[in-house]
Amino acid sequence: MSIKAKRQERSPAEGMTDSLRQEKARRGAEQLQGFPRRDFLKASGFLVAGAAVGCSRGPAPEAIPLLEGSPEMVPGQSNWYASTCGACSAACGAVVRSRDGRPLKLEGNSLHALSRGGLCAVGQASLLELYDSQRLPQPLWKGEATALRDIDPRIEGALNSGAGRAIRLLTETIHSPSELAAITRFGERFEDFRHVVYDPLSCSAILDAHAETHGSRVLPHYRFEAAEVVVSFDADFLATWISPVEFTAGYSAARDLSGDPPRMSYHLQFESRVSLTGSNADQRVTVHPAEQTTWMSHLAAELAHRSSEAIEPPFAVAGPVPPPVAAAAERLWQARGHALVVCGSQDLEAQILCNLLNHLLDGYGRCLDLEHPSQQKQGSDKALAELRQELAEGQVEALLIRGVNPVYDLPGGEEWAELIARVPLSVSFSQSLDETASVAGAVCPEPHFLADWRDAEPVLGMFSLTQPLVRHLGQARGFASSLLAWSGDPHSELEWLQETWKRQVWGSEGSGEEAEAEVPGSPDSDSSDSGFRAFWDRALHDGFTRVERAALTPGSFDPAVLTALNEDGAGHSSGDSSGDSLSLLLYPKAGMLDGRHAHNGWLQELPDPVSKVSWDNYACLSPAAASRLGIEEGDLVRISGSDGDQDLVLPTFLQPGQHDAVVAVAVGYGRAGTDRFADVGPVWVEGQPTVEEGGTVGVRAAGWLNRRGGELETVVHGVKVELAGGHQQLAKSQVYNDLEVPEKLRAADGHPRPIVQQASLAAYRADRTAGTPHGHFPEANLWPDFAAGKHHWGMAIDLTACTGCSACVIACQVENNIPVVGRDEVRRRRDLYWMRIDRYYSQDGDDLQVSHQPMLCHHCDNAPCESVCPVLATVHSEEGLNQQVYNRCVGTRYCANNCPLKVRRFNWFEYSREDATANLVLNPDVTVRSRGVMEKCSFCVQRIQEAKISAGSRGEELAAGAVETACQQSCPAGAIVFGDLANPDSEIVKSVADPRHYRLFEELNIQPSVGYQRLIRNQPSHDQPSHDQPSHDRQEEEEGHVDSHA
Amino acid sequence: MSTLMLEQPVRPPLIAGEKTPGQVTADVSRPLEGKATPLWWGAFLVSLAFLGLGVVAVSYQIATGIGTWGLNKTIGWAFDITNFVFWVGIGHAGTLISAVLFLFRQRWRTSVNRAAEAMTLFAVICAGIFPVIHMGRPWLAFWMLPYANSRGSLWVNFRSPLLWDVFAISVYFIISAVFWYFGLIPDLATLRDRFRKGWRKRAFRVMSFGWNGSMRTWHRYELVYLLLAGLATPLVLSVHSIVSFDFATSVLPGWHATIFPPYFVAGAIFSGMSMVLTLMIIARKTMRIEDYLTLNHIDAMTKLVLVTSGMVMLAYGTEFFTALYSGSEYERFVFLNRAMGPMAWAYWIMVSCNVLVPQLFWFRRCRRNLAVVFVATIFINIGMWFERFVIIVTSLHRDFLPSSWASYVPTSVEVATLLGSFGLFFTLFLLFCRFLPVIAVAEVKGVLGVGRPSKAVSRVASTGGPEL
Repeated sequence: MSIKAKRQERSPAEGMTDSLRQEKARRGAEQLQGFPRRDFLKASGFLVAGAAVGCSRGPAPEAIPLLEGSPEMVPGQSNWYASTCGACSAACGAVVRSRDGRPLKLEGNSLHALSRGGLCAVGQASLLELYDSQRLPQPLWKGEATALRDIDPRIEGALNSGAGRAIRLLTETIHSPSELAAITRFGERFEDFRHVVYDPLSCSAILDAHAETHGSRVLPHYRFEAAEVVVSFDADFLATWISPVEFTAGYSAARDLSGDPPRMSYHLQFESRVSLTGSNADQRVTVHPAEQTTWMSHLAAELAHRSSEAIEPPFAVAGPVPPPVAAAAERLWQARGHALVVCGSQDLEAQILCNLLNHLLDGYGRCLDLEHPSQQKQGSDKALAELRQELAEGQVEALLIRGVNPVYDLPGGEEWAELIARVPLSVSFSQSLDETASVAGAVCPEPHFLADWRDAEPVLGMFSLTQPLVRHLGQARGFASSLLAWSGDPHSELEWLQETWKRQVWGSEGSGEEAEAEVPGSPDSDSSDSGFRAFWDRALHDGFTRVERAALTPGSFDPAVLTALNEDGAGHSSGDSSGDSLSLLLYPKAGMLDGRHAHNGWLQELPDPVSKVSWDNYACLSPAAASRLGIEEGDLVRISGSDGDQDLVLPTFLQPGQHDAVVAVAVGYGRAGTDRFADVGPVWVEGQPTVEEGGTVGVRAAGWLNRRGGELETVVHGVKVELAGGHQQLAKSQVYNDLEVPEKLRAADGHPRPIVQQASLAAYRADRTAGTPHGHFPEANLWPDFAAGKHHWGMAIDLTACTGCSACVIACQVENNIPVVGRDEVRRRRDLYWMRIDRYYSQDGDDLQVSHQPMLCHHCDNAPCESVCPVLATVHSEEGLNQQVYNRCVGTRYCANNCPLKVRRFNWFEYSREDATANLVLNPDVTVRSRGVMEKCSFCVQRIQEAKISAGSRGEELAAGAVETACQQSCPAGAIVFGDLANPDSEIVKSVADPRHYRLFEELNIQPSVGYQRLIRNQPSHDQPSHDQPSHDRQEEEEGHVDSHA
Repeated sequence: MSTLMLEQPVRPPLIAGEKTPGQVTADVSRPLEGKATPLWWGAFLVSLAFLGLGVVAVSYQIATGIGTWGLNKTIGWAFDITNFVFWVGIGHAGTLISAVLFLFRQRWRTSVNRAAEAMTLFAVICAGIFPVIHMGRPWLAFWMLPYANSRGSLWVNFRSPLLWDVFAISVYFIISAVFWYFGLIPDLATLRDRFRKGWRKRAFRVMSFGWNGSMRTWHRYELVYLLLAGLATPLVLSVHSIVSFDFATSVLPGWHATIFPPYFVAGAIFSGMSMVLTLMIIARKTMRIEDYLTLNHIDAMTKLVLVTSGMVMLAYGTEFFTALYSGSEYERFVFLNRAMGPMAWAYWIMVSCNVLVPQLFWFRRCRRNLAVVFVATIFINIGMWFERFVIIVTSLHRDFLPSSWASYVPTSVEVATLLGSFGLFFTLFLLFCRFLPVIAVAEVKGVLGVGRPSKAVSRVASTGGPEL
């Protein structure tokens, strides 16, 4: 079926003899800087002593060096192992490609019930961090490098030096059963132990709101696939909110146009900036963050009015109902039971209102699951405040910090640094010397998730496993193992994991052997052991298992909360949106999130899906606000608070569609150690460094998080924005934003270019070809058409499904060895992406409408690039591939000039590949290109060849769907279909036959092999102009559309 | 009638100063024989400095990468190909003057053809550098040649206009060089005879191929010269037509135009003539050859400039009409963008220099005013450089997909390379002035009045109908 069908179980034996381990570790530590490939192979050889699928032998307790190779490991052949992505707390299912002992690619696990085969940009890029040469190679004790065996007694001694000592564990959300069990085991040993959880990208308000309204502090599991109407208040659920891959999969499942009648949910986004989610909304309404609660109250009042339930909506709202709210209320009410309201705010009142809305809409139990809640965010900002208080009072004797970086991602970071430094024993588990680890007394680095045994339970009852693909680089030990070692109960990661699973996961499966299984450390009872082994093997093979666990029984919505809210008065703050005073909105940028991946060059260079800016953060202002303040794009501005105690100097970015009284700044920038990018990119006379020596990429904005209620809020009202003097050009991969040409250059009958063809759902229902531009008449070809051989590869991209999330961009970068070129090169518009996402704006009345269009080589059968190359360095294969022959290319660049899609990329310099450790990530199947040659999408020809060889060696015909390109595989929305146009069984043939399918520039007769399915928006037909209408007609219609709101 | 004719000849003589053949030889040989003037040294050192700058820039670029130019993923060509087409265009006047005007028996050409041909060669040398250095891997430039190789069946792509360029430019260079050298032979023999001893005597002896001035030698010389002129004439049309195919055969709006071959040929003659004028005006002053390069010559060439300016203007207009009439939105936009977009300044420099400035040449007073002609031709050369820049860069910078639109700013390395190409051109030209006769002595002698029945008749005859 796919490459993933080859997925195999791997149970590399954990551990080896102690001396061996230490010897390897010592050498590993010495050689982490420039870890040679040969050693790497040797090291990984130690791991591969496990059993193959179906083999009855269990994993060997001790590893011995491979004298004979494992039958599983064939040099030059890739194996795929199921695992779990550890890049964020969403814990999506992953499969990892391993070749010659090296993990080379992370992809989505299509068996995984939540992520359903997709994997986001961050998850895929996290592979690079495995090969980070600047990671901590060994533990640190008071800043000095040491060994685990030396540091363990010290930490253990400090922890046990007296009774009744306050020991605190500060972590991000942990939903791993084995780690939670280890924490319990560890905590049991101390009288005063507490586990404090916070999330840098917090959902604490949602949890607290449910504690108030439903009596249990849980995060609902949102089910977008069940929602016919989605109303989102500032929740960026397709990019950064809780579990974007899962939500994208669900969201696009609810927008499946292939059925008859076509099914398409309606998505309305109220937001103050332009998020990726908002850019995909069928309607996007700009609301000031301070008005959001009011609008929600209005919405609640409208719904309560329609509902039979006697609920008094909170905050007796004054004034007229905003027209978009009235319209939203009607649509939501029509779809009650299948409607979902989500809110990304950290304002408790807003979240309570959101719960009320979902309650009124009968969403609980259908679109929001509280019985099997999400465990992906459990942080409590209140508990964090208490911990800080304790630290300030000097009560804490030991502080263990895992997965979070309070000095960086909390306001008052310098104070946190002082507080942590004052704690007698502070231990960080950070993999690198981050802001917090550098003030902690001890650092016990944990391995990268690809080198560790882990598990996860992102949603109650959904378990997944992470298996190590490679030995730790340097001396690292898993978090659970470290805790257990310090509680005098040492276990290897695998032992502990299996014990926990036996006890908790398998046992709770209802196999009737719970009593037996509950006894840890007695796995010798035969029947249960073989039962567990089968269960474990299956789970490890699939990477995922679903276990019926006792569902939670949360209470139902408690209207009493509303009364309490009302008594507090209409306490929701209203920002002063007049004059020079603006509201600062802190948001996570897709790809950069909270900054934990800031050392990843792939993610730093990934353009923001909406702004298309890479490297650096910036102050987003609406064009109107900027002109009012006399600011132009790129001007450095100073954002200062009303109390004037902090300020932020950033370049400006003008974001159409943003609220005029809002300035938005991304968090996750200004991380210490990002000066490592100083030597990224070419060095030449006019070249600028990506980051100044000792500087950081962007500036830190987390200091502005503020605690107005109990929660850490992301909105600051009453900030001042003024010119700071100076200019900084942003590194944008796209500088012109519209499909329409600039107004003064428009011909009289101008219309948007028919590049992103779109239609409203109403028009599409009436006519499946709606959105087709007029004016093109297919003409006879003067020359014979291209006659494909046995295969004819083609691709179709569904623009309705594509959200622009950019997972494909990173997938392509990883697969095809695309280098990071640095900020200056991006500014000079020389990024090297083979797959990019073009983003266009258009105006829909007053609202901004955004379209995303993935763009890659179209492998034209009549390719303009091929005829102009003087040395035949780009030629057409008989399978319809437009092939680029790197070692024949002399670099005239005529092919790129003649490409109407501008997808060809040139190696302007010899892009740096000096980090020998980082080079281990290179895909050995793809040539690394040298300076002076052209490159571009190859349709992952290496995958095509692999599949053909594999089918050929079995004597079979290549099955339809046997080849998946990297971009296609990664897409969480399943928007990309690739296949053989010559095979009638393949998906691509169906896609091409779809009336929604179109190809670009057919009038040029280039005969592209890539096509698109038109973008359909769930809108009434009248506001969707067809292309042949004169512009003044459209103008009238747009006005009519605006009127309909009024 | 006859009195009137004698007193007021239809046209003044081609060569002023009533020269005898001996004077002509002496005048032309003078700069070669004496010491170089301070003016020559000054000019030579400045040119050499620019050449040095160019060498440094190109070496740096080849060592570091094309990234040292301001190009990007959207604009793959800018200064490089602009300079290439500009210099090829400059190189057009030589062949036109020597071959086409020869065939049309325009005998005034004799005073300028030698210098114009030399200019052609030097310009083509300058032009030829750019296609090589613009490559990402210039050390592999020989892959553009269809030679028998050991790489299996690897061959060149005969469909690619860049390959046609290789042939067109190399053929043009070879024919021009042969034509120029062949015309030099009688003069080299003259110089051989003038030098008594020294390396130059020996060099000229070798270079003149044993020319003995016999009737048979002259007869064969004239025949071969005529044949070479016939061979070179189609090249005047073909070279720039083929250069224009680099653009015309593409799919890019603004490049994809059937009018390009005649448009480019006219533009090339236009720019070439202007460059000849610029150089001649300097040369006649500094080398004291006012008698050979009279105002009549200047006048005749400015008229050609005016005619070709008209052709270029027509082409500009036709491009706009075609874009409008095509109904293609991309095509229309490219031209609106050219005239009104962010790079409109380049377009309007081009229009003012190439269309407005030459209008001065409608007026005889302007045509015969050296200062006006000098300044105007410099503007025309600037305008013609911008014409190529506009065609290349404004078409590329905003093409089909608005997502890929970009702008272009040259880097210091590119500017230095352009200056370096001028340095190379002038260095070669100054060396030519110093070591070879700038005026075709033998040919000029043919248009003197010497040996004619009378001065008056000779004047009439030399300016009137066909001779011989």
